[in-house]
Amino acid sequence: MRFMLWIIALVAILIVSLIIVIKAADIFVDKIVEIGGIMGISEIILGVTASAIGTSLPEFGSAVMAALFNSPDLGVGVVIGSNIWNIAGILGISAIFAGTIRSSPKGLTRDGAFTLLTAFILLGFMYFLGVVDIYASIIFVIVYSIYLWILIRDQKKEAENDVKKEEIKVKPTEQISYHPPEEKKKIGFGMIAWSLVGLVGLIVGCRLLVYSGTELATIANIPQMIMGLFTLAIGTSIPELVVTFNSARKGLHDLSIGTVLGSNTFNIMIGLGIPAIFMSVPIEHLSYTFDAPVMIFVTVLVLLLIKRGMKLTRVDGFILALTYITYAVLRIYVLG
Amino acid sequence: MVYKKILVTSTGEYLDQIAKETMELIADWDTDVIGVYVVETSTPFLTPKKVKEMMVTELTQRGKQVLDAMEEKFRAPNIHFSRILKEGDPADEIVKIAEKNDVDLLVMGTGKSIVDKHLLGSVSEKVVHSAPCTILLIRTVSE
Repeated sequence: MRFMLWIIALVAILIVSLIIVIKAADIFVDKIVEIGGIMGISEIILGVTASAIGTSLPEFGSAVMAALFNSPDLGVGVVIGSNIWNIAGILGISAIFAGTIRSSPKGLTRDGAFTLLTAFILLGFMYFLGVVDIYASIIFVIVYSIYLWILIRDQKKEAENDVKKEEIKVKPTEQISYHPPEEKKKIGFGMIAWSLVGLVGLIVGCRLLVYSGTELATIANIPQMIMGLFTLAIGTSIPELVVTFNSARKGLHDLSIGTVLGSNTFNIMIGLGIPAIFMSVPIEHLSYTFDAPVMIFVTVLVLLLIKRGMKLTRVDGFILALTYITYAVLRIYVLG
Repeated sequence: MVYKKILVTSTGEYLDQIAKETMELIADWDTDVIGVYVVETSTPFLTPKKVKEMMVTELTQRGKQVLDAMEEKFRAPNIHFSRILKEGDPADEIVKIAEKNDVDLLVMGTGKSIVDKHLLGSVSEKVVHSAPCTILLIRTVSE
C-alpha cells in the first residue's frame, strides 16, 4: 500500500514539476526580454532569441539537471527523444488535425538544413568519440551562434521590407500625425523579482522532474534512457506541441514548422552543448546505433514530405505518427 | 430582396469566391459593405506568452492584408466599403459586429471540409445559430 502511494506521489511530482518547469520558463523568458528591451537590446534580437529558446528551456533545464545529478543518460534521452517526438509526433499530430501545414522555401531550407546539420554533428561525436565533451560543446555553441545570427539577419531584412511596404501604402495626408513621446520604462524591482522567480522555478522544477523520472525508472526497472526518451521528452515538449498545433490551426504555418525545426537545433546544440561543459556526457551504444539515426531519418523524412508540395498533408501526418509509434514499439519492447 | 448593409467576413482563404458571389448579389444597388477580420486570440494553457504575442501580431498583420484585398474587390461606385479588425473569438465577434451595425445580411464561407469541422470546429456553424440577420453561406470547399 505504501509502495503504491509512493508511486502515485512520484507520478504527481512528475506532472506538477512539468507544469512548474513550463510556466517558470515562460515567466523567465518574458521578464528577461522585457529587461533586455529596456536595456536597449533590439526588439528583433530579443524576439528571435525568445522564440528560439522559449519552448526549449524545459528540455535544456532537464538535460543540465540530469548532467549535474549524475544521470547523463536521462539528459541525452530527453534531447534525442524530444527531437524525434517533435518531428514525428508533434508535426504528425498537428498535420492530422489541421489538415495542412504549409512551409516557405526559405524557412525550410534554412531551418531544415541546420536541423539536419546539427543532427549529423551530434552523430559524428557519438560515433567517433563515444562522448559529448567540452570540445563538442564549443563546436555546438559556435554552430548555434551562427544559426542565431542568420535568424536575426533574416528577421532584420524582413522588418526592413515591411517598413518599405508600409511607407508605399501611406498616403501623404496620412503622414501628418502627432505621436506623444513614449515614457521611458525603467527596470523595476518587480521585473527582476519575477525573472528570479522564473529562474528558481525552472531550477527547482527541473530538479524535481529529473528526480521523479529517475525514481520511477528505478521502481519500474526500466533504463533511465527510456524514461528520458519518452516520458520526459514528451513532457518537456508540451510547449512545442501547443505552439505547433495552435499555429497550424490558425494558418501560421511558418511558425508551426519553424518552432519544431528551431527547437530541435536548440535541443542538440544548447541542450547537450551546455551540460557537456560541466561534465563529459558518455553515450550509450544504442543511442548512436539506433536513436540518433532514427532522429536523422525522421528529419530527412519530414523534409522530403514537405519538399514535395511545400506542405505537410493529413496523409503525411499519418506517415509521421506511424513512424513514431513504430520507433517507440521497437525501442521499448524489442531493443529495451 | 435588396440588402442595404452587408457584413462580409473572411480569413483570406476563398476571398475571391466570397467577393464574386457577394458582388453578383449586390449588382447595381447602393450598398454598404463592412469587411470584417477577427484575430483569434485564444491559445491553450502553457502557450509561452511571447509566442502568443507573436501569433497576435502576425494574425493582425494578415488581417490588414485581407481587409486591403477585400477593399480592392469591393471597389465600385455603388458600394461604400468600411473595415473592422477585431480581436477575440471569431464567431462571437462576428455576431456582435452584425448586431451593433444592424446589418441585413452576413456573408461568409463554409470554410472547412466535414473532417476538419469535426476535428477543429467551425466558425460558420457557430455563427449560424446566433446571427441576428439573414446569412449567406458560400460553399468554399469544392476545390
